[in-house]
Amino acid sequence: MKNKDIVFRDTISLRGPNIWTYPPVIETWIDIGELEDFPSSKIPGLYERLSAWLPGLVEHRCSYDERGGFLRRLEEGTWAGHILEHIVLELMTLAGLPDGFGRTRETTTRGVYKLVVSNFHEEVTRMSLDVGRELLLAAIADQPYDLDEAVRLLRRKVDRKYLGPSTAAIVLAGEKRGIPHIRLLDDGNLVQLGYGAAMRRIWTAETDQTSAIAETISRDKDLTKELISSVGVPVPEGREVDSADDAWDAAEDIGLPVVVKPTDGNHGRGVFIDLMTREEVAKAYAIAVEEGSGVLVERSIQGIEHRLLVVGGKLVAANRSDLITVTGDGKSTVLELIDSQVNIDPRRGTTELHPLSIIKIDTAARIELERQGLTGDSVPIKDREVLIQRNANHAFDCTDEVHPDTAQVVALAARVVGLDIAGIDLVCQDVSKPLAEQGGAIVEVNAGPSLLMHIKPGIGKPRPVGQAIVDNLFAKDASGRIPLVGVTGTHGRNTVAKMVAHLIHLSGQHSGLACTDGIYLDRRHVQKTNAANWEGGRRLLMNRSVQAAVIENGARVILGEGLAYDRCSVGIVTNIVAEAEDLSRWDTQPTGGEYYTTPRSIYRTQVDVVLPSGHAVLNAEDELVADFAELCDGEVIFFAVDPANPTLLAHLAAGKRGVTVADKRVVLRSGADETRLSRLVDAPYIGKARQPTHIANVLAGIAAGWAMGLSKEVLTTGLKTFGLDLADPAALILQAAKKSQPKKPATARK
Amino acid sequence: MDVSRIRALRGPNLWSRHTAIQAIVSCQGAEVAISELPGFEARLRERFPELGDLIPSDHLDTVSMAHALEFAALGLQAQAGCPVTFSRTAQTLDQGVYQVVVEYTEEDVGRLAFERAEQLCLAALNDTPFDLDGVLKEMRDLDEDIRLGPSTGAIVTAALARGIPIRRLTQGSLVQFGWGSRQKRIQAAETSLTSAIGEAIAQDKELTKKLLHASGVAVPIGRPVEDEDDAWAAAQEIGLPVVVKPQDGNQGKGISVNLTTEEQVRRAYRVAVDYRDDIMVEKFLSGHDWRLLVIGDKLIAAARRDPPLVIGDGTHTVRELVDIVNSDPRRSDGHATSLTKIRFDEIALARLEEQGLTADTVPGRGVRVVLRNNANLSTGGTATDVTDDVHPELAAAAVAAAQTVGLDIAGIDVVCDTMYKPLEEQGGGIVEVNAAPGLRMHLDPSFGKGRAVGEAIVGMMFPDGPDGKPDNARIPVVAIAGTNGKTTTSRLIGRIFESNGLRVGMTSTDGIYIEGRRIDSGDCSGPRSARNVLMHPDVDAAVFETARGGVLREGLGFDMCDVAVITNIGLGDHLGLNYITTVDELAVVKRVIVENVAPTGTAVLNAADPVVASMAHHCHGDVIFFARDRMNPVLATHRAQGKRVVHVERDTIVCGEGRKKQRIPLANIPLTRNGSIGFQVDNAMAAIATGWALGYAWDVIEGALAGFVSDAATAPGRFNVFDYKGATLIADYGHNPDAILALVGAIDNMPAVRRSVVISGAGDRRDDDIRQQTEILGDAFDDVILYQDACQRGRQDGEVIGLLREGLANARRTKQIDAITGEFIAIDTALNRLQPGDLCLILIDQVEEALAHIAKRIAEAN
Repeated sequence: MKNKDIVFRDTISLRGPNIWTYPPVIETWIDIGELEDFPSSKIPGLYERLSAWLPGLVEHRCSYDERGGFLRRLEEGTWAGHILEHIVLELMTLAGLPDGFGRTRETTTRGVYKLVVSNFHEEVTRMSLDVGRELLLAAIADQPYDLDEAVRLLRRKVDRKYLGPSTAAIVLAGEKRGIPHIRLLDDGNLVQLGYGAAMRRIWTAETDQTSAIAETISRDKDLTKELISSVGVPVPEGREVDSADDAWDAAEDIGLPVVVKPTDGNHGRGVFIDLMTREEVAKAYAIAVEEGSGVLVERSIQGIEHRLLVVGGKLVAANRSDLITVTGDGKSTVLELIDSQVNIDPRRGTTELHPLSIIKIDTAARIELERQGLTGDSVPIKDREVLIQRNANHAFDCTDEVHPDTAQVVALAARVVGLDIAGIDLVCQDVSKPLAEQGGAIVEVNAGPSLLMHIKPGIGKPRPVGQAIVDNLFAKDASGRIPLVGVTGTHGRNTVAKMVAHLIHLSGQHSGLACTDGIYLDRRHVQKTNAANWEGGRRLLMNRSVQAAVIENGARVILGEGLAYDRCSVGIVTNIVAEAEDLSRWDTQPTGGEYYTTPRSIYRTQVDVVLPSGHAVLNAEDELVADFAELCDGEVIFFAVDPANPTLLAHLAAGKRGVTVADKRVVLRSGADETRLSRLVDAPYIGKARQPTHIANVLAGIAAGWAMGLSKEVLTTGLKTFGLDLADPAALILQAAKKSQPKKPATARK
Repeated sequence: MDVSRIRALRGPNLWSRHTAIQAIVSCQGAEVAISELPGFEARLRERFPELGDLIPSDHLDTVSMAHALEFAALGLQAQAGCPVTFSRTAQTLDQGVYQVVVEYTEEDVGRLAFERAEQLCLAALNDTPFDLDGVLKEMRDLDEDIRLGPSTGAIVTAALARGIPIRRLTQGSLVQFGWGSRQKRIQAAETSLTSAIGEAIAQDKELTKKLLHASGVAVPIGRPVEDEDDAWAAAQEIGLPVVVKPQDGNQGKGISVNLTTEEQVRRAYRVAVDYRDDIMVEKFLSGHDWRLLVIGDKLIAAARRDPPLVIGDGTHTVRELVDIVNSDPRRSDGHATSLTKIRFDEIALARLEEQGLTADTVPGRGVRVVLRNNANLSTGGTATDVTDDVHPELAAAAVAAAQTVGLDIAGIDVVCDTMYKPLEEQGGGIVEVNAAPGLRMHLDPSFGKGRAVGEAIVGMMFPDGPDGKPDNARIPVVAIAGTNGKTTTSRLIGRIFESNGLRVGMTSTDGIYIEGRRIDSGDCSGPRSARNVLMHPDVDAAVFETARGGVLREGLGFDMCDVAVITNIGLGDHLGLNYITTVDELAVVKRVIVENVAPTGTAVLNAADPVVASMAHHCHGDVIFFARDRMNPVLATHRAQGKRVVHVERDTIVCGEGRKKQRIPLANIPLTRNGSIGFQVDNAMAAIATGWALGYAWDVIEGALAGFVSDAATAPGRFNVFDYKGATLIADYGHNPDAILALVGAIDNMPAVRRSVVISGAGDRRDDDIRQQTEILGDAFDDVILYQDACQRGRQDGEVIGLLREGLANARRTKQIDAITGEFIAIDTALNRLQPGDLCLILIDQVEEALAHIAKRIAEAN
C-alpha cells in the first residue's frame, strides 16, 4: 500500500465568518490520491485501530446524529478526508480545546477535498492537521504511532498559546452576552472585549479599570495592612522588623504564635507560620530576609485559609482550603491514620476526575508534624488530633456560606486598596460567622487573582466569575458593539461604503472606513493601500476612537480570509454578477448543489452575520440578492431604482421598509408611509447622468443610513454632498461662491 | 537641660497651623537665663554663625537655654534648606520648665534638628566641638531622601494650591488627594486612574506599535521578511526610506538605516543575514528626539531632547570640555536642578570611538562632539521646551497614542524633524509610549519655559464641577468640641447628613462609626481616628468629636473644617492635665477647631457661655450663635447686625437672619421632651445651626431631628430614661460639674415623690471638681449613693468617696448618704429602695455594662 498518501495542497486560514461557519476555521485542500478508491470499509483493521487509538471518536455524532454516529460511518465506509477531519477534531479535544466544527467537501477535482476544521489557534490547528495526517496514514498502513507523545506536544502548545482558563472564562461570559472579542497578543491573555469606541480590555484577571497604583499597594503587604486596618478591616497585628532580635521583640509584643514573612513576597515563598520559639523566629527571619524586601512579624491567625473573590465591590465567589487532620487511636502511625481516615475518602485520588488529591507527607506536612513533635511513623495517643496539612489546596467552594458582614468587609478591603478585581486571603475558623468573634483576619489582598479555583472548584458549585467581571465592565444592556456596516457585492460596494462613512461622519460620530482605497478615520486617509480585507477591518475594530465602522468586503475576502467582524449591525449586498468575477481559485461553481461553493454561499455570509437587532440592506432588483432576505436574523430594507419592482412592492405591502425613487426624488418607504429626500439631480454623485447603477449605490447608502437611525437631515445632507471633493478647501470656497449665484443647480464635475 | 516628651504635631494645633515638633524642656540653675552663662552665646554663635537673634516671642521672658534650643532647631532646618519659619517657647507653671515648639516640613528632619540643636547647645555649654557642616549635610541628605521628588512635588503643590487636602501614604511618592469618597491617589506621574493594563501595553513596544498603527497613528511600521526580494517588496509597502535589521539585533550589528533605493535595500539585506536569519524591514525615521506629555485628552507639554554634547574650541580635549560643561552650577549629580552632569563613562567613550575620537582628542573649534545616543536628562542631556510650537495634528496624534494604549498620563516619544508639521507630512513617527513619565524636563526644562504640569494633572483628576467651581476633593467636615453635649450633637448632625443622602463617618469618645457601624471602639476623639475616617472610601461627610487630648498630643487630624461647633466650656473638665489649669487655657485648646474653620465655613458657638462666645473673634469664616435666651446680649448683638442666630421663643426654635426667620417647634424634636430638657434643646440648636451653615434644606433638617430617638440603644449613657416598677430611672454618663448642673436642671422639670442619685467620681479630676459635683446634687436629691469607681485613676482607696462626702457637707436636701464599693451593687441598692413615683438618677461609669445591668433588672421586674 505504498502509494496511499494524503497531500496538503493548500491551507487557507479563514479568520472570521466564512462560507462554512461563523468562527474562524482552517480550510485545507487535501489530495487523497488513490485512497479515493479505498473507503474505510475496504481497509482491513482501520476501524478497529482508529477506534482503539481514539476512543473519544465514539462521541462524534456525525452522519446519524447519534452517539457513535461517526464510528458507524467509519465501519460502513467513508473516505480519508472525512476520517481525517474527525481525527483532527478529536486531537484538538484531547489537547484541551473546546469542541470544534468540522466539514469535508469534495471539489471538482477527483480525490481533492476541502477539509475544514475549527481554528482556535492557528499553530495548534496546523499541528493537529499534521499529526492527524500521520496518525491516519499509520492507521491505514497498520504501523505503530506514538499518539501519547503527539498529544503531549499538542497540549503543551495549547497551554502556551491558547487563552488561559481565567481569560477564557471571561471571554466566554462575554460571548454569552453577545460581546465580541479580539485577542491582542498571539500567545498572551490580553484580550479586547467589544469593538472600537465600545471596547474594554482584560488581561487575565486584570481589566483596563485595574489601577496600577492599586496593584503597587497590594504588593506592599505592610501598606495594604495599614490602609485596610485604618478603616476597620481586621488584620493580623504586626510590624516590619530589621533583625532577628527585633523579630523576636516584635513576636513578644504581638503575642505568640507569630508568622514571619517577606514584606512583598507572594505565593508563600519564605512564609513561616505558627512560630512559637525564639529559635524558630530567628530561623524564619534568616530565610525571609533572603527575599530581599524586608520582613514582617505578625500575629498568627488561627483557622483555615479562605480566598474570597471581589469583583466591582461585590463578593462573587469564595473558596476554602483543605485542612487535614487525623485523630490518633493509640495504635496506628500517622501514615496509617492518613490512609485510614483521609485517603479513604472516595473523592481523593490521583486522576483529574478526583476533586481532592491523595495526601502524602510532603515537606510542608513534615514541618507541620515536626512542630507537633511527630513524624510519619509516630503513633499518636488515642484521641489526639494531629494536624497534617493546612491550606492544602483551595478545593471547596463556600460562596454561599460567607457571613454577610464578612462579604462587606472584604469588599471594603478591595475598595480601599483600589482594585476592581481582588482576591482576598482570609483566615478564620468558620466563614459563616462574623470575623470579630473568632479573631479572623484578612492577611492579603491580591491583584490579578487566579479565577480557576472558582470556575472549577474541586468540591461545590462553579461560580460565574467570568460573568461577574464582564458585568462589571459593561453596563447591563451594553454589548460592546459599535454600529458596524459590512458592504459586499460585485459592483458598487466601494462607493456604497464611502457613502455610508460619509453619512456617519455627517451625524457627528467618529467614523472608520476600510475599503479598497485604504483606511479613512473621519476624513483622514491614514492608509492608502487596499484595506478591503480582514486586516483593514480589524484595524478599525481595534481603534478606540472609532464610534461607527464601515467595512468593504469582496468575495475574495469571504473566500480567502473570512470577515473581520463576527456580527454586524448593517449588512449590505449591492449585486451579484458571477460572470464578472474570476473565483476559480476557490473552485466555485456558479450553480451547483449545496456541496459546492456558489456565489450564493459566498455572499450570503454578509447577511448571515447581521445581528437580530440589525438590518440587511438588499438589492430588490437582483434576484439572487433579494433572495437573501429570508436568511437575515434582523430586519430587511430593500432598495430598488424601479419603484414598481415586485419584490419591493411585496415587501412594502407587508409593512416593511424600502428605499426607491419617486418623482425623481429619493424616497424612504415604510409600508404605505413615504418620506421624500432630495431630488436625484441635487445629488452630485448621480448628477445629470442618472445612471441606474449610480442611483442604486446611492439608494443602498441611504438605506444603510436609515437602518442606522440617522436623521432625515443627515440623509438629505449626505445625498447632496456625497461626491463633492470635500478634501480640498478651495473647492468648498468655489462651491460657496456658486451657491450665492441664484438658480444654478450644483453638479459635480469629474 | 533636659528634653523630654518630644512629639510631632502633625496638624493644626495649639500654637499654629504649621506642623511642628513639640517638647518639654527643663532648665536648671543658670540655664534659665543664658546671660548668666558666661560666653555661652558667643560659643553658640561660633559653632552656628547663622543662628538668628535670640528674641523670645513672649518678650518679657529672659532668654533661657530652651530658647537657644528653639532658635537652633529652627535655624538648622532653615540652613539645611527646609522652608520653616515658626517657633515658640512658652514658660509653664513650673519654674524652669518650658514647652518648645519648632516647625518642620518633614517630621524626621524636624526630629533630627531637635536632637542636633540640643547637641549644639551642649557643645556651646561645655565648649566642645560641633561639626556644623556634617550636621547640615546629614539633614540635607535626610530631607532629600524623604521629601517628595520633583514630579510628585509639583503635583502635590498644585493640589494644595487648589485647596485639596493631601496625605502621604508612604515614605515614597504615594500620596492621597482628597477625603473619604472623594479620594484619589497619585504616585509620581501615575494616578489612581492609570490603568495597569495600559502600563503593561506601553512596556511591550511591538504591541504598542500594533495598536497605534490600528489607530492610524504614524509609527515606524515594518514586518519580517523572507528573502531579498521580499525585503524590497516590504520596503515598497512600508514606503522609503527604510531600516533593514536583524530582529532582536543588538549593538547595531547588521543594521542599515536610511535606505532609499532598491539596490541599497538588497545590499542591506545581504549584510543583515550575515548576522541573523530573522530580518525585519522597518520604516526609517530621522530627526530629533521629542517628548510629548499627554494628560487626559490634552497635550500639556513638549520638549526637544538633545543628547549630551560638547563643542570643540581647538584647545581643550574632549575630557576637559566635559569638565568645563559640568562646572556649570545648574548641573548637579541628582534631580535637584534643571540639568544633570554629563556622565563621562564607558558608553560615552564608546560613542567617541564610533566617531573616531578619544577622550584626549582636541576637537577643532565649533566641532560638535556627541557623547551619547540617548537624550536622557539623567545622563547629561538637555531638554528644550517646545510646547507652543506643536502642530495641532501632531498633538492630536500624541493624544490618540496615549488613549490607544490606555494611559491617562503618558510621555510620547516622537522622532521627526520638526514640531511645526504633522508627522505624516515629514515621515516622522511615534516610537514609544511611556507610562509614569518624568516631568522634570517640562517643569524645569534646560531651555525655555516651565509648564504647569502639576496643575494639569490635578485638573484632570478633579475636573471642575458643573457649577464651574473647582473641585477640592473635600467632603463636609464638622468638628465638635466642648465640655458636655458633644456626642448627642454629633449624632444629631450625623442624622442631618444622612437625611441628605450622605454616608456619614463619625468619631467620638466611644468609637468610630461608619454608616452607623462601629469599626473601632474606645476613645476615638483624637486625630488618628479622624484621619481614619477621612481615609474611608465610603464616607461622604464626617463629624468629629474633637477632644483636647489629641489636639495637645498631635494637633488636628484635618487641616480645615466646614463647621466647628463648641457646645460649652462651663466650669471645665479635666483641668490640671497637660499644663492646662484654667478654663481660659482650656478654651484655647478647644478653640483650635474654631481657628481652623475654612474661610467659607462657619463656627457654631454657644452664646450663653461667655468663654465660648469670645471664640468668635478667632474664626476666619462666619459665626452662628445659639442660646435659649433670645435676649442673650451676644446673640442679640449678632442678630441686630443681621447675622445668623438660633434661639428659643416659647415652644419653638427660631433660626433668624435679619428679618428672615425659620421656626422649628420643640414638639417636633422628641429628644427635648417638648423642650423640657434644657441641655437637649441646646444640642438641638447646635445641630440645627450646623445644618443651616452647611446649606441644607429646612425640611430635611427638621425631619432629621424629628426622627432622632435618644435611648439606651441609640445613645447609651445620654440621658436614658427607663420605667422601673412605676419609678422613673435616668442613666447618664455625666462626669463633671457642668454635666451634673445640666442634669439637675432637666430633672427639676420632672415630678417625683422622692429623688435619689447614684454617683462615683473619676480619680483624675481635681479635688475641687469632685467635691463640686456632690455640692450640686446635695441640693437636688434626697438620697445619695456614693460608689467607688472600678478604676481609681491613681487615687487612694476611699479618697474619692471622701471628697464626694465633703461636697455633701452643706447639702440642703440630702438626708441619706451611703457609700458602696462596686457600681452594680450601688445600682441594685438604689433600685431596691425605689417606690412608684420616685425618681432615680444613676451616673453610670462603665456605660455598656451598667446599662446591660439596668436592663436586666428592669426585665426581672416585669
